[in-house]
Amino acid sequence: MATTKKISLSEEELVGALKNRHTIAVQALYDMYSAALLGVISRIVQPIELAEDLLQETFIKIWNSGESYDASKGRLFTWMMNIARNLAIDKLRSKDFKNSNKNQDIENNVDFIDAQKEISFNADTLGIKDMVTALKPEFTSVLDMVYFKGYTHVEAAEELNLPLGTVKTRIRMAIMELRKNFN
Amino acid sequence: MEEVNAYIESGILELYVLGQLTVQEQQEVEEMAVRYPEVKQEIAAIELAMEQYALQNSIEPSAELKDQIMNRLSDNETIVTATAEIEQVIKPTPVVPIQQHNEYEAKIRILRFALAACVAMLVVSAIALYSAHNELGQAKTEILALNLDKQKFASTTSYLTEENTDLRKIADMADDPDWKVVKLAGTKMDPAAKMVVYWHTSGQHVMVDNSKMALPANDQSHQYQLWALVNGKPVDLGVFDVKSDTTQILLAMKEIAGAQAFAVTLEKRGGSVSPTMDQMIVMGGV
Repeated sequence: MATTKKISLSEEELVGALKNRHTIAVQALYDMYSAALLGVISRIVQPIELAEDLLQETFIKIWNSGESYDASKGRLFTWMMNIARNLAIDKLRSKDFKNSNKNQDIENNVDFIDAQKEISFNADTLGIKDMVTALKPEFTSVLDMVYFKGYTHVEAAEELNLPLGTVKTRIRMAIMELRKNFN
Repeated sequence: MEEVNAYIESGILELYVLGQLTVQEQQEVEEMAVRYPEVKQEIAAIELAMEQYALQNSIEPSAELKDQIMNRLSDNETIVTATAEIEQVIKPTPVVPIQQHNEYEAKIRILRFALAACVAMLVVSAIALYSAHNELGQAKTEILALNLDKQKFASTTSYLTEENTDLRKIADMADDPDWKVVKLAGTKMDPAAKMVVYWHTSGQHVMVDNSKMALPANDQSHQYQLWALVNGKPVDLGVFDVKSDTTQILLAMKEIAGAQAFAVTLEKRGGSVSPTMDQMIVMGGV
């Protein structure tokens, strides 16, 4: 019984429904944002099945902690994104995830290596490549490391051998560039 | 003002949106946002940009994932910290699809309408059945009445056919010289009595004509008996009844070859061996 009709609600309606524990809130949030959240999760952890499990956990957590969301502190999506990213990063750093990656069987290895080398093509992100290349790569790479790869900005600075201030600046420049593109 | 701009330029708001700050730093940013609308606006703009960026980098989840999630929500909200591992362990057991609440409600609504429609149809059917039953009853009564009429017509027809046959026989007698018409006249017992007997001399048939009979009706214990006088001796030709509602015209009696006269006596039911002479009511010679 898949609901084929996509539900879209305004932010106020979504927050109200979520706080009143109407499941329609989750349906609408799923229809509007599941792909965006999976885009982030699946860039932090692979394979995609695991990323989908985490997406499921994300929505359960959104549902269970809807009351703690404070609209005055930020947008609903930012809150959801942070839940998704934190779950994914927790997974990435968990012992069993590291172990399971060491013990991958051969047929999974191909995908795994592809994922690690970032050579798999995803139809959903092909359009983005154009936009991202329009940005200066040194700016976007820092943002992508933090936003999509699960690095903290401190780790990114270490990885890139850059001062923390430069990392902050690059992140800010990259986001400024994005704002120009999107507005 | 410059202080605010410097704060914005520092890049801390971006890190705030990206969830990179400690709890203490977060509170600091939130306080600044409350105090300075520019900060709040800047945060909102960064959030929108990141939202757009994430949307542009979307990866569509597999089709069945939504139903899985909705099912887990309606599984009475017990799941709070179930980890992906546990999920993977229990995965082989297929999740029993429980209807989503609003879908369920919509179904109940439809079923309610269906129930109302069913009740309405039931009422209409009952009325239709009742009227049909009534009409059937009327039709049955009519059929019974028509059957009765038909039987009446049939009996009338058979009566008329019989009567017609008898009348034709009587009419044919006139053309056949062998048929003798014997008129029997009343004796002193009842001078008003009279009757007619047809006798076929060669065929030996004897018939009594009810239509031309004027005898008083006999009771239950008595019957009239027809006699032929052959060379002075009475010969029994059978008994008959005289009733007011007799339909038959001709009544066949026993056969006789030769007779000089016919007579009728009133005898006990079933007839006697020899006539009771003082009970002779009509008599007539050939």
